[in-house]
Amino acid sequence: MARFIRWQGMIAFMVLSALVVVFIYLFAESLVKKAIVSSAESAFGAEVNVAEVQLSYSPLQLSVLGLQVTDKETPTQNLFSFERATAGIDVWQYLFGKIIIDELEVSQLEFSSIRNQAGKVYPNEQSDGQAAETSLAEQAKAMLPEVDMKLPDVKTLLNDSNLLTVNASKQLQDSYKAEQVKLKALQAQLPNKAKLKSYQDKVKALGKMKVNSLADIEKIKAEFDKIKAEFKADQALVKKAKRQVLATKNLLAQQVNELKNAPSKDWQHIEKTYQLESIDTEDFAHILFGEQAREYVQKAQWAYDKVSPFLDNTDGEETTEAAQKHAQGRFISFKEESPLPSVLIKKALFSIQLAEGELTVSGSELTHQHWIRGKASLININSSANGELSLSSHFKQSESGDFKANGEWLINDRKLSNTELTKSKALTLSLEKAQLSGKGSFDLINSEIVATNHVSLKQASYQGQAKSTITQLLLDTVMSLDSLTIDVGVRGELSKPNFTIASSLNDALTGAFKQQVAGKLNDFKDKVNKGLNEKLANALTLGDSQAAELLDLEALLTDTDKALADLKNSDVVKQQQKKLEDKAKDKLKDKLKNKLGDLFG
Amino acid sequence: MLTLLAKLFHALNSDSSIRQIALAIALGFIVGLSPIFTLHNIVIIFFVLLIRVHLGSFILAVGFFSGLSYLFSPIIVQVGESLLTQPVLADFFTSLYQLSLFKLAHWHHTYTLGAFVLGAVLSAPIYFISKFIIEKYRVHIMTFFEKFRIVKALKASKFYSLYSSFSGDSSLTKGGL
Repeated sequence: MARFIRWQGMIAFMVLSALVVVFIYLFAESLVKKAIVSSAESAFGAEVNVAEVQLSYSPLQLSVLGLQVTDKETPTQNLFSFERATAGIDVWQYLFGKIIIDELEVSQLEFSSIRNQAGKVYPNEQSDGQAAETSLAEQAKAMLPEVDMKLPDVKTLLNDSNLLTVNASKQLQDSYKAEQVKLKALQAQLPNKAKLKSYQDKVKALGKMKVNSLADIEKIKAEFDKIKAEFKADQALVKKAKRQVLATKNLLAQQVNELKNAPSKDWQHIEKTYQLESIDTEDFAHILFGEQAREYVQKAQWAYDKVSPFLDNTDGEETTEAAQKHAQGRFISFKEESPLPSVLIKKALFSIQLAEGELTVSGSELTHQHWIRGKASLININSSANGELSLSSHFKQSESGDFKANGEWLINDRKLSNTELTKSKALTLSLEKAQLSGKGSFDLINSEIVATNHVSLKQASYQGQAKSTITQLLLDTVMSLDSLTIDVGVRGELSKPNFTIASSLNDALTGAFKQQVAGKLNDFKDKVNKGLNEKLANALTLGDSQAAELLDLEALLTDTDKALADLKNSDVVKQQQKKLEDKAKDKLKDKLKNKLGDLFG
Repeated sequence: MLTLLAKLFHALNSDSSIRQIALAIALGFIVGLSPIFTLHNIVIIFFVLLIRVHLGSFILAVGFFSGLSYLFSPIIVQVGESLLTQPVLADFFTSLYQLSLFKLAHWHHTYTLGAFVLGAVLSAPIYFISKFIIEKYRVHIMTFFEKFRIVKALKASKFYSLYSSFSGDSSLTKGGL
């Protein structure tokens, strides 16, 4: 037996085990502290300080004292800090590979507290996203000055060569010139008065010719046919000219019509280009309070983005990790009597210090695997330091990865003071003091949000500065209001939700403000339209003289055509034939008389 | 304290055969493949200290196979994953899962189970391959170990001089540290 066994090995094992235990006992706290600092620094991208970590082993309890996370946007401030966080960990489950925290308590949690020394900032990818958020808020602010700045100068506007009225009148002029050339060319080919007279003279001469025999008639007919051929050629020319006149008339009529419609189209274009339409119906509540609403939704989105990676289904995680070079593996759970999620905080209690007073946040059943115990996570936020504030929210994740959350909030008689509403070049507006009440609810399914919120401000007083007439009027109207209600609806994808903001401010503005804006706009509209109509009238006057010329030409063509038709239809040959017949008849009568005279005489 | 440890190691390495070295490498393979602080590793370390195997070879094998385990981690995880998610074995693992010892050993973790199963299955071939190589190259293997920086560093340490004073001559000739 001694050949195979060395009993000293038992002692060695015990010594090594004891060494490991001593090492853990001595260095566990500093190792945990290092782990917390490095993981938090990589998560928040800025310096993290931990004053002390305490571990007690029976029961296992981890306490983190004096944690400060630097705000990477403002390194002189903390993103958040707390005095003490204590977590009671279930050791047995921890050895089984599960983190089950019976109770997590965080006290004196503060946001934006001042640091003794500016913290270091480590650049990471999230900075781009933050910049995009800022630009969104800046965009909202920029909406106000645009209202005043974008009213254009009437003269400059009317001299704009892109105006339809200017273009249409120029087109009409050009068309008339082109048509005139065509018509003149045709007119030159048409038989003039002298030619018509010579035709008439020729026909008359044929009528006056002495007819003595059928041969004379034949000669007259031949002459007349010859002249008729000339008539026909001229008549064809007249017809062609008539068609051209008709085409010209239609073209010019169409262009005149376009010209007449041009000023109204120009006005529509001006309204659209300079956003004049939106001034009439501008939702000023949206401009003033939309920014605040957006900030709250952005905060919710930030929280969702931070939480959602932990809510991902572990199967999905593993698929991605399997592709990596170094795989970590995962715990697989099987059916058991009382199953537990891999991470669970049974109870959590946070006391948060805010400028408005202390806030208590309590949570229960916090996990990402709600289906295992069939319970939803619950979060309650309460404060009674300044009026009443409460928020209650449930959320749960299904095994298939669907995330559902809902909640309600209520604020009663909360005093507000010095709250900035908007700050832009044209308008700064802040709430000096007010009594805030409100309630709302939200539903979040995956990343689709539907929320309704109603807020009312009473005994409100404001202060601010305005630099344009419109914003001054807006400021005056807001300042004259003692109470105000705002209804904010949020719907759609959490990353780009649609806001509907209704406020009693809009109703208050309807009278004075809208009238003044409408008056200013009407004045502007009148000036622009007057200018446009003048351009139209000038073009149309010119068009009238052109139309008169066309009418003259048309009359001339009709006369010529009639004259030619008369000549063509002339019965000169028949008349000569009749004359010949009459002559023959007279001759016959004379002969008959002579014969009868001889007979009876 | 160091004197005590050196005495202990000298006693542990009093005689080392080829089989002891090959067994040390095979057991080092199982330990090296899994995360170090797992229940089965602690049990193996206990047996390594208890039975007469070559400790130096065991420590080196653990170091070497830990590196190899890092490189082959996707395969190890895949083995564990396919075993734990095998429908045929579901009942078997469910009944094991009811035992605290099974969960304590982290055999419901894909990496740990994959490493343990691969280690246990491949340890026998590794034992015989190691034995064959050592038999053939016994003479060369001593110089081979001498070349390692870790051995040189250990030999330069106070601990080694203490160890030498107790062993009397180079332990490498006997297969010790």
